Amino acid sequence: MVDRRKGWHRLTRSNRQKSSNANPANMPSFDQTPLAKSLAENLQMLQSLYADCADVVFHDFLIGEQTKAVLIYTDGLTNVEEVDQHVLAPLQQSLELQHTIPNIRNMISVLSIKLMRTIGDAVTEISNGNPVLLVDQESQGLSFGLSKWQKRSIEEPTAESVVRGPREGFIETLATNTSLLRQKIKGPHLKIKSMRIGRYSNTPVAVAYMDGIADPALIEEVMNRLQRIQIDGVLSDAAIEELIEDNPFSPFPQLLSTERPDVACGYLLEGHVVILVDGTPSALIAPVTFFSLLQSPDDYTDRYFIGTATRWLRYLFLFVSLLGPSLYVAVVSFHQEMLPTTLLLTLARSREQVPFPALVEALLMETMFEALREAGARLPKQIGSAVSIVGALVIGQAAISAGIASAPMVMVVAITGIASFMAPRFTAGIAVRLLRFPMMFLASFLGLLGVILGVTVILTHLLTLRSFGVPYMEPLAPLQVRGLKDVLIRAPRWALRTRPHLTGEWNKYREAPGQRPSPEKGDEGE
Amino acid sequence: MNNSEGMFVPMRKWRAALLLLFLCSQTFFLTGCWNRIEINDLAIITAAGFDLTQDEKVEITVNLFLTHTQGNVDMMGGSSGPGGSTPQSLVQSASGINLADALSKLQQILSRNIFWGQNEVFIFGETLARRELIEPMDFLTRHPAPRERANVFVSKGSAKEVLKLQPPVERNLAEVLRELAKTQTGLNITVKELAQMMAGKASAAVIPLVEIKKQEKIKIPIIKGTAIVKNGRMIGRMDDVATRGVLWLRNEIKKATVTVTPEDKEGYVSFELLKSHTELTPHIEGNEWSITAKIDTLDDIVENTTSINLLDTEQTKRLEEKLADDLVNRVNLALTRAQKEMKADIFNFADVFYRKYPKEWNQVKDRWDEIYPQVKVKVEAHPNITRPGLTGKNFLKRN
Repeated sequence: MVDRRKGWHRLTRSNRQKSSNANPANMPSFDQTPLAKSLAENLQMLQSLYADCADVVFHDFLIGEQTKAVLIYTDGLTNVEEVDQHVLAPLQQSLELQHTIPNIRNMISVLSIKLMRTIGDAVTEISNGNPVLLVDQESQGLSFGLSKWQKRSIEEPTAESVVRGPREGFIETLATNTSLLRQKIKGPHLKIKSMRIGRYSNTPVAVAYMDGIADPALIEEVMNRLQRIQIDGVLSDAAIEELIEDNPFSPFPQLLSTERPDVACGYLLEGHVVILVDGTPSALIAPVTFFSLLQSPDDYTDRYFIGTATRWLRYLFLFVSLLGPSLYVAVVSFHQEMLPTTLLLTLARSREQVPFPALVEALLMETMFEALREAGARLPKQIGSAVSIVGALVIGQAAISAGIASAPMVMVVAITGIASFMAPRFTAGIAVRLLRFPMMFLASFLGLLGVILGVTVILTHLLTLRSFGVPYMEPLAPLQVRGLKDVLIRAPRWALRTRPHLTGEWNKYREAPGQRPSPEKGDEGE
Repeated sequence: MNNSEGMFVPMRKWRAALLLLFLCSQTFFLTGCWNRIEINDLAIITAAGFDLTQDEKVEITVNLFLTHTQGNVDMMGGSSGPGGSTPQSLVQSASGINLADALSKLQQILSRNIFWGQNEVFIFGETLARRELIEPMDFLTRHPAPRERANVFVSKGSAKEVLKLQPPVERNLAEVLRELAKTQTGLNITVKELAQMMAGKASAAVIPLVEIKKQEKIKIPIIKGTAIVKNGRMIGRMDDVATRGVLWLRNEIKKATVTVTPEDKEGYVSFELLKSHTELTPHIEGNEWSITAKIDTLDDIVENTTSINLLDTEQTKRLEEKLADDLVNRVNLALTRAQKEMKADIFNFADVFYRKYPKEWNQVKDRWDEIYPQVKVKVEAHPNITRPGLTGKNFLKRN
């Protein structure tokens, strides 16, 4: 234990020193070892590093039948035909006498050729699938951008489907993902910084932002937080998210994860920073506000009246999903006089057979519902529908007729369930869904007073929360009247002239004035 | 060692925080949820009545909603609809020296907690009302549970008899009485209004009277007439017609259909009230106190069996005059009963005078009972026929 920890500490210390350099990647100690003049020495070093790596191939040959050289590539990550045709063939048939690196470079008809000076560079290139060429008597090597690996084709995002708008989603390959961003924002203002995170996984991470729109301090903060990360491997962007968020104890997500390049570009143009992680088909967006978690791309593709109405519906059902069962429990066990008489009489009649207090009944049904949801989510799609049938029809109905739960309770749970699915961002929905349970306890202990207390605590938490320095409840608190037009309502495009505050204050306007379409004035008379 | 110190200080902090959190959470259980009551433990009272028993005790009668009727077990199927053969409510009563005492006796015989939160109707038996209303009204306004917005009625006969009725249309009796009061053809008085009237300068009040009407085999409650309360006791009744006059003068009339016979014609013309406003203007000249009651109404004609052409403004003018006469008569009838016979200031003239002549009123406030019957009331009605209906003249009638 102690030893391992010590080793880890040593690693972090060495990395901290390095992070002051230009290259922040956390490579083990061979990282900076320069390539030796002798090929045998280099080979020995690399072969010891890649001992027992059956997929790394060392191919030695002679350039122009005289100079010794080795081509190193990873099987399955490299486009072998291209290497044969454009690297091996010209080199072996070379008639030149001087086989220096600049000469070789000119002989090879490959677009992407990189010069390497250290063993670390070579390892990185090999890991990426780029073939590496080492030549005897040269303390430099060449790598060729001829990698080619299996990747998924671009598909429609499953978790964020829209009615209208682009249908493409991010995939697991970082290069494809950055290209998707570049396809949408074609100018040079889209900047993409890249880095590697993970002691062993060496996962490429890209940070994209719009030059001149995004706050330079924000970009620096994002880069700093990313460089702080010292873990062994990054297998999904969730790991990154948990390591860079502002408040690690909050149930609310402080970074937004999206599968859609159009959403990512939308945020880029508002001055946010997008973090792309290789191997994850989604992008992280920072900073975010609470309201951006309640927005859907469809808000902007629908007519703005409809977008506004849907937004309001979503806000309403956010409250329902948080407070539905707790309000029911509070009213039923403390404030019976608040209900209209007829409603209370109906409730009383349906609750007559139920043996449990309202809280237990609510907890029972809510837990049941959460279990059903979880079961449905993990099962294959074909069986998932069976679960919902069993859950909704059989258990729901049977619970009522067996007298375990009352019909109004089942209804409340069902409405709450639907309400929690209405949050366009799954992570926001699940946070609210979790908070529902403490709220139910508070409601059953203290009635509506407890509900108010709970809401106050949650609201206070939300108000203190920040995402990369931006207040979470912005623009509502602190109030930014200009920002409300995209929060309380969805104003038409021609009215959304300004970018959100704090992320775009130095490049305030995103539209020229007078964008509202109207017939040209003053033409009639002439 | 240095390292271990750095590790353990936050650990200790954590432990302290967790302990604190745990202790805080225990306070929830200490509360014991003292006022949490499940619906299953409630005896929901929908209507309550107060009577005077033979031995001068107060009897409280409540109409309890029955939550477990037969046929309710299977809730998935059609639940037993209201008006089924099984009774929807249960009547229970208990008596004591006062209302609070009677209520505690009532709780003794009920297995569930008495719940006043949904009670919307209070009925005073006439005998109790005639003896005194101050004691029950103190209970109703002081106790936090009964609602101030519940309707009050006085029953002809005992309140218990009214509460025992099984209404055929509505779900329970309270619903029937409330809806009857709401239609505004009679009075609609709540506990709060009654308390205000009784405690007001006039110290007189009106309460709608409930009567049991037997129609073939079904007994139904109806609102018929008004009980007049003065100085905390019921002193008399007014019939239906006089009650209408009271409503006009109190500016509480909302719905009315008035039928008049034109002098020189045969048949009737009926008006339906659209809007009405009554304004009381007090005057004091020397020793003479008088009040002008100005009634402005808008009316529609809904039936015409005479040969009058209603499109003729001359004719409608005359009809308006006729209608005005009718209104004045109605109001005068109520005035005579209240002012001359019962001497109860149910129209709250006292306040009207006080607002305009506070000094004069203060001088006579102890003698108001003597002055009130002498107040001269001039009633002016200004009806305005707005629409003659969809047809002008009665076109079925040939003349």
